[in-house]
Parts: sequence; C-alpha cells; structure tokens
Amino acid sequence: MFKKLTKSKMSGWDWAFVICNTIFLVLFCVVTLYPVLNTLAYSFTDGQEAILRNVHLLPKKFTTSAYSKVFGMQGFRRGLIVTVSRTFLASVLSLAANALLAFIISRKNFIFKRGLSLFWVITMYANGGLIPSVILMTKLHLTGTFWVYIIPGLVSAFNILVLRTYMSSLPDSYEESAQLDGAGHLTIFARIISPLCKPVYATVFLFVAVFHWNSWFDAMIYNRLKPQNTTLQYELQKLLSSLTQLNPSADSSGKVTDMTTEIQVRAAATIATMLPIICLYPFLQRYFVTGLTIGGVKE
Amino acid sequence: MSTIEKNAPTLKSKLNKAEIKRQSVLLIIAGLYVIYGIIFYYLPLFGWIMAFQNYKLKDGFFGSEFVGLKWFKFLFEDKTFIRILRNTLAMGVINLVATTVTAIGFAILLSEVRNMMGKKIVQTISYLPHFLSWIVVTSIVRDAFSLKGMINELLLNLKLIKEPISYFMHTKYFWPIVAISNVWKETGWNAIIYLATITAIDPSLYEAAAMDGAGRWQKIKNITLPGIRSTIIILLIMNIGNVINAGFEVQYLLGLGVLKPVSETIDIYVLNYGMANFSLGTAAGIFKTFVSMVLIFLFNFIAKKAGEERLF
Amino acid sequence: MKSKKIIALALACTLSVGAFAGCAKKKSDSVTDWTMIAFMAGKELNEGNEIQEELAKKTGVRIKETWNTSQDVASAVGTMIASNDLPDLIDGGNGSKMLAEAGMLVAWDDYLKKDEFKNLKEMFSDKQWELFRQADGHIYWANVFGKTYGEPKSRGHNDEAFWVQVRVLEWAGYPVIETLDEYFDLLDKYAKANPVNADGVEVVPYTALCEGWRYFCIENAPEFLDGYPNDGSVIVNLDDPEHPKIEDYNVTPTAKMYFKKLNEVYNAGIMDPEFATMDYDTYIAKLASGAVLGMCDQNWDFAQINNTFIDKGYDKLGYNYVPLGLVAEKGQTKNQWHAYADVPNVSSGIAVTTKCNDADKAFKFLNQMLDQEIHDLRFWGIKDVDYLVDENGMYYRTPEMRANWQNDAFRAKHVCNYSYLPQWGGTHRDGKNAMKPEDQETEFFATLSEPLKKAFDAYHYTSYGDFLRSEHITELGFWYPMYSHSNDMNSTTEYGAAWLKMGDCKHEWLPKVVTSKDFESDWAAYMAAYAECKPELFLEEMQKELDRRFELGK
Repeated sequence: MFKKLTKSKMSGWDWAFVICNTIFLVLFCVVTLYPVLNTLAYSFTDGQEAILRNVHLLPKKFTTSAYSKVFGMQGFRRGLIVTVSRTFLASVLSLAANALLAFIISRKNFIFKRGLSLFWVITMYANGGLIPSVILMTKLHLTGTFWVYIIPGLVSAFNILVLRTYMSSLPDSYEESAQLDGAGHLTIFARIISPLCKPVYATVFLFVAVFHWNSWFDAMIYNRLKPQNTTLQYELQKLLSSLTQLNPSADSSGKVTDMTTEIQVRAAATIATMLPIICLYPFLQRYFVTGLTIGGVKE
Repeated sequence: MSTIEKNAPTLKSKLNKAEIKRQSVLLIIAGLYVIYGIIFYYLPLFGWIMAFQNYKLKDGFFGSEFVGLKWFKFLFEDKTFIRILRNTLAMGVINLVATTVTAIGFAILLSEVRNMMGKKIVQTISYLPHFLSWIVVTSIVRDAFSLKGMINELLLNLKLIKEPISYFMHTKYFWPIVAISNVWKETGWNAIIYLATITAIDPSLYEAAAMDGAGRWQKIKNITLPGIRSTIIILLIMNIGNVINAGFEVQYLLGLGVLKPVSETIDIYVLNYGMANFSLGTAAGIFKTFVSMVLIFLFNFIAKKAGEERLF
Repeated sequence: MKSKKIIALALACTLSVGAFAGCAKKKSDSVTDWTMIAFMAGKELNEGNEIQEELAKKTGVRIKETWNTSQDVASAVGTMIASNDLPDLIDGGNGSKMLAEAGMLVAWDDYLKKDEFKNLKEMFSDKQWELFRQADGHIYWANVFGKTYGEPKSRGHNDEAFWVQVRVLEWAGYPVIETLDEYFDLLDKYAKANPVNADGVEVVPYTALCEGWRYFCIENAPEFLDGYPNDGSVIVNLDDPEHPKIEDYNVTPTAKMYFKKLNEVYNAGIMDPEFATMDYDTYIAKLASGAVLGMCDQNWDFAQINNTFIDKGYDKLGYNYVPLGLVAEKGQTKNQWHAYADVPNVSSGIAVTTKCNDADKAFKFLNQMLDQEIHDLRFWGIKDVDYLVDENGMYYRTPEMRANWQNDAFRAKHVCNYSYLPQWGGTHRDGKNAMKPEDQETEFFATLSEPLKKAFDAYHYTSYGDFLRSEHITELGFWYPMYSHSNDMNSTTEYGAAWLKMGDCKHEWLPKVVTSKDFESDWAAYMAAYAECKPELFLEEMQKELDRRFELGK
C-alpha cells in the first residue's frame, strides 16, 4: 500500500513529479508550437522562397505580401461581417437550444429520457447525403439566405450529450431544495443548473464558435450565387484555389512582378483565421482552468 | 404530444397522468425539439432510397430505376473492400485510443499544475494545432519523416538506426504515422472537455483526501479519474460509433501509391468510386451508419451491464 | 443581464447583415448582369474592372464569374440541379452531360443556323459540331479552347514531354536526343560531372511525380514513345485505315521496356529515391530549386517554377527546361508529342442555362466575344494603354506593359479575359498579328532567357514545338481525342468501374514496379492484378465510341 505523506511538506516523489511534469509540458508545448510557428514563418516569407519549402522557424526574405493579398481580397469585408454574425448568433442560440434540451434529458425522472436520447444519438451517425439536404433546404426556402447557416445546425447531438453528462453529474441537492420552494422546471434550469454549468457551457460555446468560424462548405452549397452571403473561409478557399490556377495559355517565360504563391497565402490565411479564435479563448478559458467552487452542498 | 408517444411506445408502462402533468412543460418543449429533429435530420434520410436505385438526377427519387441491392453487392464483391474496411477500422481504433489516452493524460497533468499563468499558457499553445488544416500538418509530417528529415536525423544521432529509413515506402509505418499526426494535432483540443469536467470536481474532496494523507497519485486515481469517468465513457461510446469514419484527408494526403494497401479508407473509396454515382455513395453511407449503430448499441449495452453512465 | 446583452448584440449584427444585403448596388439599367460558373481555378475580377466595363459598354452584358474547385464537379452540379440554383452561363466540365440530361441547358441548334451567330458557327466545322451533339439530338455547349484561326502562331509547348534543363544540352554540345537510353545516359553523365549546383544544391538527375491525378507524369509516356498523339486513355492504331483499333498502352512491349528502364535507372541511383512518396508541393520545390535535371510532365503542371528561376537568377544559369520528344526506337519517325492540329474536347464547354432570362441575348453576347474588336480587348487590352502598334501594324508591348499583365493586382482591376468564353488562338483577322499576345513572335523572343536563346540558335529551332521533332500533322483523326469519352466515365457503368479500377491498380503498382529488386516477377504480378480489373470492358466501350465517331467522320 502507500506510505502516508505529511500534508504540509512536499515529498521527494512530489518534487520529482512536479519537475518531470513541467519538463514534459514544456516539451509538449515546443512540439505543438512548431507547426504554428512554421506556418507563421511561411506567411511572412517571399513566395518564391516559400515554394522551395525551406522555411523553418524564421521567414526568409520577409514580406507581408501574403497578408495584403488576404486582407485585400474582394470579398474580405463582406465575408468577415457574415462570418462574425453567424459565429456570434449561432453560438449563442445553439448553446441555449442545446442546454435546454440537455436539461430536459438529464432530468432523472423524465418520461422519455431514454427514447429522446436515442432519437438524437441516431442523428449523429445517419445522414441522407448532400442531395436530399439541398432539396430540403430549397423546399424550406433557406437556400440563398443567411439563415441557412444558423437554423439547420442549431441542435447537435454531440453537444447535447456533453452537456447532459455534465448536468447529470451535478449534485441533486440544489434542485431538490428549489423544487421544495415551488420553483418550476424552467426556473430551475435558468437559476440553478445554468450557473453551475459555466465550464461546460464555455466548452460548447467554443466548439460551436470554432465550427462556424471555419465553415465554408455551406456557403458554397447554399449561397454559391449570393456574394452578399459569402463567408470569410469560403472567400479564402476561393483565393487559395485561384493561386493554383492552371492557365490554359501559361506563358513559359517572362518577368513576373507578382510573386505570391499558394503556400505563402495558405499560411497567411491560416494565421489570419486563427487569431480571432485565439483572442476569444482567454475569455472562455477562465471557466475551465480555474476550479469551480461548488462546495457547501450537503450530500 | 402524439409524436412523442409514437416514438416511445415501450415506455407506456411508466406513464401515469400525474407524472405527465407534472412534466407537461418539459414534454411540450421536448416535442418541439423532436419536430425540429424530424425535419432537419430524419426527413433527409429519405435520400437513402438512392442506394437502391440507379439514381439519375434527371429522374429524381421517384423516376429512377430500382436495382435492389446492386450497389451493396458492388461494395462487398469488390476484393479490395475487405482490405479497405480493415484499414478504416484499424486506423479508427488506433486513433481513438491514442487521442483519448493522450487527451486525458494531458488534461490530468495540466490540472496538476499549480501555477495559473503557466497553466493558461500551456493550454493555449496546446490547442493551436487544431486550427491548422491537414494540408499544412501533413506537409510538416512529410518533411519530418523524409529521408533527410528530423526523425531520421534524430535516430541516426542517437545511433538507433544505421541508415535513414524511408518511412513512406513501407506500409508498416503508415498507421503509426497517422496516429502520431492525429495526436499532435488534436491532443490539446480534445483535452478541453476533460479540463472543463475536472473543474467541476468538488475541491473539498481533494482537501479531505489530503487530510487522510493521500498522495498525488492517489488523488488522481481516487478523485480526478472517477470525476471525469462519465465524460470519458460517454465520449468513448460516441467516438466508437465514429471509428468507421477514420477520415480521408490525412490518409489521402499522406498515402500515395505504394501505401494504398494500408491507407485507403471507406471515405477515400467513396471519393474515388462515388464520383457522379450518388447511389454508390449512399449505399456506403448506409453501411457506415449500420456499423456505427451496431457498435453504439453494443458498447452502450456493455456500459449498462457494467453499471456505467451510458448514451441512452 | 449579460446574456441578454450578448443576444441583443448578436441580433444587431444579424440585422446589419440583412440591411447590407438589402442595399445591393444599383447598376445602370442598360447593362444586363449575368452570373457564370466554371469548375476550374480562376481569379475573380474586381468590381468595376476597367476592361470589363468597356466590354459591358459594347455588348450590354456584364458577367460575374465564379470559379468552383473546392468540390468535385459531379456533386457540385448535383446540388445545383437539386436546388435549381443555376447561373446564367456555365462551363459544366465533366458535369456537362448531367446538366444537359436534367434539361438545364439551352440548345444551340437554332442559333447555329442563323447568320447573326456566324462567329459561333465558325468555331467548328459541321462535322465537328456533330461531335458535340448529345443523345437527345441537340447541341448544348461548345468547347472554347485549342482552336486556331488561320495559320498557327503558337510557339510554346504546353503539353507533355521529357524535359531537360537547357544547361545539360549546352554541356553536351547540343546533341539530338532520341531514345530513353540516350536521355538517361545524358542525365547520368551530366550529374556525375556536375553533382552539385552553384549554390550547393545536390543534383537529382531524374524524378517522376506519382501523386493523385498527376500520376500521368509516370504513367502515360508509353503512348507517346510509340509515336501516338495524346488520346489520353488509349492508343488508336491506324494500321488498317478503314478499321482503326483501340489498343491499351499499359500492356505494350514499349510499356514494359519503359518501366524496365525506369527500374534500371532507379536501382542505379539516377532516379530520385523519393519519387514515389513525394506530393506535388515537394515536387515543385525540387524543380524550383534547380536540382532536377529532367522529368516527364505537362508544361502547365510545372510552369509556375519559371517565376522562381527568374527571381533567383537561375534562368541565366540555364536551369530552364526544354522539351524532348523521345521515341521507343532510334530512328523512329512516328512521333506526335507536339500537336500541330486543333483538339476540340467535346466533353465540355460553355453553355447557356435555362435560368438565363434572355437566351437570344446570351447567344448574341457569346457571338460578340469573337468579334475581332472584342477579342482584342479581351486578350490584348486597350490600344496605347496595354499594347502599341508599330508602323507595320504589328502589336507589341513594352516591358512595363508585359509586367503589368503578369501582375495579379493589376489584372484584377484592369484585365478581363472572360477566359472560359469563346476565343481563338492562331492568326488575327488582319493576317499579321497573333490572336493572343503569348503567340506573337516578338513577344515570345523578347522573353527568352540567354541560355534558351543559345539553344534555339544552336538547333535552328524557332519554337518549343521544334524541340519535339514531331510529325507535322495538321489534321488529326476525327475521333481525336478519345479522352473526351473516358473523362466523364464513372462507376455507374461496368466499363466505367473497370476504368476506375485500372487507375487504382496503376497507382499502386507502378511505383512498386519501378522500385522493384526483381523487375520481371513484379511486372508479372502487376500484369495479373491489372487483368483482374477487367480492362477489356473499358477497351470494348472505347472501341464502340471510336467506331461511332469514325462513322460520323466519314
């Protein structure tokens, strides 16, 4: 069995653990940071150097031309407005919708607890494919609108189950006392459960936000001919594919003044889209890094 | 409310008027969600009819010729299909195990860090690779594992190998490389959910354990792990349903010619053969759904028997 | 409450989106705005592009082009049909047939009969138009590329060849290289004499890309080595001119000879050890570094490296590639690496959709695109701004104008090619100039680097095509090219499935065969695996199509 440790002092094993853990985490950071720094270096590297794929941590022949290409593209402003709007709106609405459903399913004595869970689990693995979805969206008059980004994905089984699992693990005592006070279900949800769920709400919010921030396929499918509903990622996608253009009458020689290349712009686009999410993160992070005090509940 | 009742006829025994009345608000709301789900998730399943047709766009769902199980036969009679199914499941399982274990491990190690600043920095860095596209990640992986790449250089310097290894010429290295790439890209991201769950653990439990003289390892084993146990199990069951979706991007980008026997997954197969053939793609989709559901029910059942948290 | 604030903010955001959508810019009523989609990579024009506005003034139509490459064509077309969300004009690529079958395209037949649309009619001979006719008896599209007006003017070779850096030829005293043996011998000798480039980069004598659809770099050389043109998927044997026969170039003695040679040079260390595992980016990086002495490829697939060469000064060191038209046997005159004839790809082209509210106007617009004045505006630009005319009436550009036309930012605001609308190559209607600047003689020589000029002089060649020493065949068989039939095959048919399986099999086996330690047994295993794909089903279908086209052409 284990030796009893004095709680006031750290033992030798404890010190060893802390040191090893620190070293390990630092190494881990180095390894995961490398591809990001590499991408950053490429984004500032001259296109003709980038094509040689020789860049590691520092850019070669520093230039910001890739960024001016990304920020200067035609649909940038429009795409940004749409993407920010959909990310914000969808994250808030989705979180609310998923949390409420998760709350219902997590009620211990809810009549259709199991049936309703299964109903949503199936939606994770069964889908009819692209064409039927497109027909459905067209019949619902969502094709060609902004709402096609928000409504279809509002409720997602994955997020419901994550939320439900968290809610079920909360102690029942709060709820019971509220019920005795005569509080209704929705009051319990809004006043009792939700404040306790901040960490998992932050997680789901992040998942949904990242998903919407990176979406481009739905923009292409449903708003192909509606440039006013384009998204930032779709515009970047188009920019990237335009750089690999196979010019049918490619000129084999001749001085070229525009030296940006796909590798370089891809890197700049990656960095440009990562930044806002990195900025969002610290706001959410405090909910799942700092421990939550839910002490004081009598079991 | 009739939709709900139809949905769960087996539960009728539980129903009694008082309970229904008590839960009426919840039932109405749940009913609205079911309607939503039927429209957006179940209606499109009508498209499965394509799998049993020679679906032609001009003829639509009703005009296309019915061909029975032709496309399922096409899949199963293809000699390579067994190989492809094996690749898919093998990579699916390897990736699932590797990414789950590393994510949990990382979350626990990180939660043991007492320095707030350091904790935040490490976590922020760890999840960044999630935002890189596979095309970026695979190009770095390819460089690292190339003849003159980092890995060979390291192993040569450590005298572990005598000659550089051409990793992408041999089929045996492929699955590990895919697993490593996945771990590298997703560990930090996958850990977020576990970190969030760890924060929900009542701190008084740790205090009590410390009073009893429990060491770090005991606290992890007896408090942290049980605290995130239900999340682990739920995510595990959900992801087991997804092993059949082992993906195609990373395999497609890394698995050239000679690696085809180990790299080709169902999704890549559909990409190659389902082009302009919506029927075949749908048939493969139905097959995948079937495999997922079998796995889900199986593991949900196991979880139930073991008295664990389950999916439904 | 915080959450309420957030929701209010989100709603405000969304409303602003709606407001933005509402106030779309009003353009002058005289110009019709249409949309167009092509399933190809392309660059979008800025709003108010100068030449586009000029064209709009002259034709009354402004086209908003959208390029679509992020999705495979079939599912893109599928979703567009399903949602009935079509542009006014479309180049449906491999999805053209689906669009026509679904009744989404306007037939050309009536327009081609009218004198008003004679520019369109002029694009093809009556017989050629027949090839565009679909099963329902109508013509729905016309391919706009590879058409020569009058005398050919092109000096480039945009297609496939065995390429060699021009410095290698210079070093060897400009020999004529005919066979694979001579080619690899030359590369080997040069590499042994010059193992390292001036900047320390190690030389790679030969490499071959085998990634994805670009594996033609290793795959289809046997077809050319035997002296056949690029039918793509098969050889058309004309030994009996009355009964042309489909042959499979994958199993010919030449194919075996070619792969055996590759195997030999691989084992001798002449071929890049990483050839089988590199992706396209790595390949381009290798070429751009000036390390690779030779490879087999299509010019458009690697032309982008020329920019790097200029940037790094490699063009002055003779790193630029020139094409070689290798043949299977020394002295073989059968050689069609360079196509001197026009190649109409009948499987796709520009089409007007039923969504377009004024089809008559659309065809009138397409017809106008071929008016010389409009054509000049599209490809040469505005006179005195984008090109100058000398006393003999010849068009030319200053270096500055040339640089402008190569600059993306400049192009986006000024140049408007409408590159997927009808167009001509060859000679200008004035009989002197070229239809497109890149074919203009003065433009061509003005942009050649010094080592290239020396090679052109040494061989007395005046175009890249000359390097290939191809037969001067100006009219290819009526069936040509057969790839226009295999291009849109898919697994819904047995022959289509066989065709896909053959491709899969080659992807897997060709690198194995080339890297083999025991070529003969691996080759036999490959042939056995290949036979299992049932290539005969595919070849039968191709023969059927060939016979059909041959009958049409009689």
